[in-house]
Amino acid sequence: MAIITVPLAIFLLGIGVSSFLLMRGREASGEEGTVGVLNASMGFSAVGIMGSGWTWSIHNSMLIGSSSMCATEGLVQCGSVIGDPQWNNLFGIPWGLIGIGSFAIIWFLVLSIRMDMHAKWTSNYVDLLYFVSLAGVPFVLWLVIVELTMVDGAPHICPYCTVIHIALLGMVASAYYLRQKKETGTWT
Amino acid sequence: MSRRRAKALPRGKDEDVRTVAGLITAGIISLVVVISVILAPIPQVGPDEGNQAPDFVAESYNGASWSEYRLSDNFDWDWNGSSDSKWFLIQFIDTDCPYCWTEGQEMSQLHSQWKDKVNFVTIAAQLNIPNHESNKDEVEAFRDKTSYFGCNSDRDDCSDRPGGPHDWPYIDDGTNSILGSWELSGTPFTAILEPDGTVAWNKNKHQGEGGDGEELPAALQRLVGGQ
Repeated sequence: MAIITVPLAIFLLGIGVSSFLLMRGREASGEEGTVGVLNASMGFSAVGIMGSGWTWSIHNSMLIGSSSMCATEGLVQCGSVIGDPQWNNLFGIPWGLIGIGSFAIIWFLVLSIRMDMHAKWTSNYVDLLYFVSLAGVPFVLWLVIVELTMVDGAPHICPYCTVIHIALLGMVASAYYLRQKKETGTWT
Repeated sequence: MSRRRAKALPRGKDEDVRTVAGLITAGIISLVVVISVILAPIPQVGPDEGNQAPDFVAESYNGASWSEYRLSDNFDWDWNGSSDSKWFLIQFIDTDCPYCWTEGQEMSQLHSQWKDKVNFVTIAAQLNIPNHESNKDEVEAFRDKTSYFGCNSDRDDCSDRPGGPHDWPYIDDGTNSILGSWELSGTPFTAILEPDGTVAWNKNKHQGEGGDGEELPAALQRLVGGQ
């Protein structure tokens, strides 16, 4: 099975476009820059939600056999990572489902700010967005360690998991720049 | 005296947009969940009959060495009910459990009878009760019937276990994680799986209150004997 599949290409494109928007929004001043970073945030969180949904589907299909949604052999594959019953869960909940829930919170915060950039609660929401995104980083580090050292036949790299990890890191960077814009008075 | 008017800051909208944002988020998440489930329906996984058996990856002892063992790697996912694929007998023990000690005899007999049609897998847990501490050496000795004092609640040498040496994989579940995924609190326990990993017989559903009393040998005969 080819490593780059259509869904993976779409997710990578989403990461690329969001990164471009983030770079442009970071450099632009005033409201235009803030809107750019918020759009990038929406892109990263959308990739996170869809990517998590995809890995959850892979997880479900692997419970009753091999999955046609991702390669199961070789270094870059999902079978030994998402299909591993020992590691692909947190207190019994699949990581894909946890990803959907976590990115849903992020999406809600970003969308709220995007819909009303000048509301009184915006500062609180920007701080919350930053800390919620940052809270995901230790989990990403843990999951990278798991796929590289602990799963059956390690090391393996799960491409969809990696896309979600990058989306979260992009989200942390976006939230950091939004916070910076608030603190330096360049929000508008 | 002239008064300078401060520059007005942009004001937020009159209505609270967070309710709308919440509804939009809920809608998107619902859509993603529905699409995910359509792409791959959520299978019923658990110890109940008719469910997919809980999978595990753990260290397995084959009589010579320990290696990684994944239960689902041995399933025949294309099994249609009529092929020659082997069934599975999953047994949970604790090397210090007296009932598991005596069950060693029955397991030896059943293996002699059914080894051509059934894969035997024994999972050695470590129940959290006094004198039930074990280790890999004890599991090896219990399986192989070799000398190691500490089996059967530290009362016996493992070489005295009833039955012969067990010629099938013994899985180390010292953390009781597999025991937990099978929703078990004690040993011994046995289950029969179809070749594709579907639970066909669960001891706890047949024995005890409300059960039909069917024993393991009869269940093997009923399920596998007619194949």
